[in-house]
Amino acid sequence: MDKAAPLLADLLAFIAMDGCTDEQFDQLALRLFAYQYESNAPFRSFCQRRGATLRKVKTWSDIPAVPIDAFKAMELRSEPALPGERVFMTSGTTGRAARGRHFHPRLDVYDLSMTRNFARRFMGGAGHMPMGILFPDEQAMPNSSLAHYLALAKSGFGTADSRYFLTPEGLDLPGLCAALEQAERTGQPYALLGASFSLVHVMDALRAEGRSFRLPAGSRILDTGGYKGQSRELPLEDFYAGLEELLGVPRTHCVNMYGMTELSTQFYDDGNAVLPSVKSGPHWIRSRLVEPVTGRSVVPGERGILVHCDLANYNSVTTILTEDVGLWAEGGFLLLGRAEGAAAKGCSLAVEEFVKAAAA
Amino acid sequence: MKVERITAGWLPGLRDDEVQWHVLPFEHGAEPEGLRLEVSVPVLTAAQMQALAQRVREAADRHLRAMPVAGIIDAIDRVIARLLDRSDPFRREAEAWLPVVSGYDADMVRLGLTGFFKTFRAAQLRRFVAEDFANPAVLDGFQPVPKGGAVRAFGPDLLVHVWAGNVPALSLWSLVCGLLVKAPSIGKLASAEPLFAGWFARLLAEVHPPLAECLAVVWWSGAGGDAGLGAEGAAALYGQADTVLAYGGNDTLAALRQRLPVTTRFLPHGHKLGFGLVGASALDTLKAPAVARLAAWDVMRYDQQGCYSPHVFYVERGAPVPPRAFADYLAAELVNLQQRFARRPLELEEGAAVARWQQAVEWGSGDQELIGPVDAPWSVAYGDSLQALAPTALYRTISVVGVDRLDDVVPVVSAQRVFLQTAGIAASPEELYRLAGLLGAAGVTRICAIGAMSMPEAGWHHDGRFNLIDLVRMTEIEQSAEAAAQPFAPYAD
Amino acid sequence: MDQASGLNLRGKVVLVTGAGRGIGAAIATAFAREGATVAVNYLANEEAAARTVVACQAGGGDAWAVKADVGSEPAVQAMVEEVAREAGGIDIVVNNAFKPYAFDPERRSRFDDLDWRDYQAQFDGAVGAAFEVCRAVLPHMRRRARGSIVNIATNLVEHPVVPYHDYTTAKASLVAFSRNLASELGPVGIRVNCVAPGLVYPTQGTQNTRESFRESLMAATPLRRLARPEDVAGPVLFLASELSGFMTGQVLFVDGGLVMR
Repeated sequence: MDKAAPLLADLLAFIAMDGCTDEQFDQLALRLFAYQYESNAPFRSFCQRRGATLRKVKTWSDIPAVPIDAFKAMELRSEPALPGERVFMTSGTTGRAARGRHFHPRLDVYDLSMTRNFARRFMGGAGHMPMGILFPDEQAMPNSSLAHYLALAKSGFGTADSRYFLTPEGLDLPGLCAALEQAERTGQPYALLGASFSLVHVMDALRAEGRSFRLPAGSRILDTGGYKGQSRELPLEDFYAGLEELLGVPRTHCVNMYGMTELSTQFYDDGNAVLPSVKSGPHWIRSRLVEPVTGRSVVPGERGILVHCDLANYNSVTTILTEDVGLWAEGGFLLLGRAEGAAAKGCSLAVEEFVKAAAA
Repeated sequence: MKVERITAGWLPGLRDDEVQWHVLPFEHGAEPEGLRLEVSVPVLTAAQMQALAQRVREAADRHLRAMPVAGIIDAIDRVIARLLDRSDPFRREAEAWLPVVSGYDADMVRLGLTGFFKTFRAAQLRRFVAEDFANPAVLDGFQPVPKGGAVRAFGPDLLVHVWAGNVPALSLWSLVCGLLVKAPSIGKLASAEPLFAGWFARLLAEVHPPLAECLAVVWWSGAGGDAGLGAEGAAALYGQADTVLAYGGNDTLAALRQRLPVTTRFLPHGHKLGFGLVGASALDTLKAPAVARLAAWDVMRYDQQGCYSPHVFYVERGAPVPPRAFADYLAAELVNLQQRFARRPLELEEGAAVARWQQAVEWGSGDQELIGPVDAPWSVAYGDSLQALAPTALYRTISVVGVDRLDDVVPVVSAQRVFLQTAGIAASPEELYRLAGLLGAAGVTRICAIGAMSMPEAGWHHDGRFNLIDLVRMTEIEQSAEAAAQPFAPYAD
Repeated sequence: MDQASGLNLRGKVVLVTGAGRGIGAAIATAFAREGATVAVNYLANEEAAARTVVACQAGGGDAWAVKADVGSEPAVQAMVEEVAREAGGIDIVVNNAFKPYAFDPERRSRFDDLDWRDYQAQFDGAVGAAFEVCRAVLPHMRRRARGSIVNIATNLVEHPVVPYHDYTTAKASLVAFSRNLASELGPVGIRVNCVAPGLVYPTQGTQNTRESFRESLMAATPLRRLARPEDVAGPVLFLASELSGFMTGQVLFVDGGLVMR
């Protein structure tokens, strides 16, 4: 743990900078790679099988990307387990049995990464705002990275009257309406944050009651995570049109956050006036779009699977292979959904069908 | 990029300009030498579909039902002879375009087509009929039966085929079955291979025009056609069919079954999970490389897309060549085959599935290892302990599992009973018969040599069913009717 | 650059035994120039190995020195494990190390002077070392279903200009050893070939040859000179690369045409 201390200090300082050069990014990425390679035996053998050893990895994009399934198969960690460490788990709604686990012996890196980025990309320099959170709190969901993220948002950027509107009993619609009404009345900008599916529930409930709001200028909405089978599937166009119509927040102020349990840094867009919106992250995370079998970067203009190298992932692995399909765009990348197994064209059994049959 | 257009399907009695066409695009190769093929497939309205069904039915009444099976075999044989003739225009079309729509290596397709077509010559077709009917004349007229009376086999009133793609010319099986039992047929093209069935009909029209009047080839979107393009026509057809023969995944088949009236005979062929067994007797230093070579061919053919394609080879320990070394031989043969027959380029999603499978092997329980570079266009996973039988990611991804005794495999495969069909075996004759007994009981329906897994022989029983008998109904004249008729004869005493 | 040469050795991991000096050092440097990662094996001369490493790095490749007696099974195992750990695998092996031998046409041992032990020692040095190294690397190569092994023999096996009985007999065995291995490993995608140089000058072993002898050898050689260490490297790189992907069990003679076959 001691050998990690200088590295951690440098990492925190790096995140605190306003930007970095390619060399600076590479340098820290390689130091973190060396640390994780030395400390994490399964990761080391994964790298060795790919010929990606300390000797051969020369730049961040040489670091082998660990598939997110690996977070389910084993404990990916560089520091030994600590009593009371936080463990963020994937929701396990993807149909595969095990849940991915991301160990955070200390949260200061995660928290700094979140707050630095959130301040810029969501708050946009605004001071504290009253916030409504449409997600359970950390006590209810201690293993949810999103619950922790939202708690940080509320404690770091919310005014004292900010509160949760999702309780174990369900959505507190009257409470939410009261808060929204008060914002309308006082003219103080309001921030509504939560899971995308919770916002669908809110919109459905408002429509059912025939209610709508016009939140004051400067109000904003953050949604994340998609629907995950928790609500009806709403096309993005309808989703953002609905938010604008029912809450009076222009789509330029409806921000979508793209995050993953397996990461410690989030991506944001700059509003959703135009779909699909372009996602980008801060200077301590870099992405590649790869052809999944060879791991080679795709040529610009072609779809690829997203690989993220997140320097804030100091304890697990910096570089992960997602299951998300992306496309480069001006200023970032477009998210084009998940790479579901291709429909079987022949007559041979495909894994997806087999897994489904086994689950049935 | 060059663009070529092909009109697919076969619509007797309908002019091209009367129906709606949908274009299925296929791209082959990269810019600038690349090629774009646009296949137009016919999408019918309900009224058109009804008329088409009526027409093929009437044609069958007029031509097909009166034709002796020997005559039908002769006509099919002449079609097949042309498909085997590499200078024939239809064969040339097939060699040129099936690789484009499927993405498969052109040589692989060429070899596959010849190997496949030659199992449909007259002699093989007669065997095919004889497999199902002790007396094939029952298809032509009433034949006396030992218990007394007489029996005749009648084919379906209207046979509907729903084909799967990616095994080129797969539709030939069911088209031939339909003709042999004298059924008017309407087939639904697979979007992934929308060409062959139409060509077959056109060839038939050249060889023996009346027969081609008894079949039609159409398209709608998806197998069930419950929504999307052509849904209306599909619904009309399903309402008319008395027998539906369909290939596809269990989800698709289940949805399709839902749509059919309870009185419709439904013959589903679901996706399967093939495997091979290699016994110690086949694993001396001389024989093992040869068996591995044959196994590699089974993996290579159509990139494992066939229902008979192997996913796992179980290899017995205790021979001079251990299972792990067999896996090495198999891997090297896959490298060689890649030189001769390159794997088709994978779409992003297919590549992601292959990568996910490889990664599951790597991060799995620890006793499985991946042989070969991760970016190779093939992959062998070697496992030293028995695990559940599970599919690989296809596209030349294969598992090799070392086992103490081949018998140990039986409980593992029998757990996947519903997905079993083909098992390839390399073992001594005694072992073969002993294992065949166990595997048959476990649900396997086809046991063949390794190397022949993806080349079923003429007259095989697909999924263990009687291909022709399943299509017909028997009409019996009971002895009593015969006896009772006697007094009504003019010559009765 | 890779495309131009077609060698495509960039990033490949190469183990060269006896690479501190002479032919081995030249081979190691040539691989490094093509962008390969080279493990420079040496027996005792740490300084020489360090010089090879520097030359490799200057050539644009990566290299490091690995000390091991290639005649010792545990030492070879440990070396190969280290290479695999350090570089993630082994793609290419060049068995170049051999037992020290004084090439001196005038003072060579006559058959009557030799002991069976001399033969034994040379056999151990040539075939024994190759055996140990091959045994150790094969699991790594099998895992990737590919690999290339190049063994350094001598043109004397075809044409004993000077009958160095023990040395040449051992090298001839190495050729036969390579061909048997090629035959067995072909089906698993691993190639084994030999490079057979003529007299290479200057090397430590050939320093004592007389100028007059070298002159006479050059006179008999169609290309009219002796092999330099770099001359040997070219065919080795070729046999190691995919350019020779359909060659196995072959012996390439690098002697200016002295031996033609």
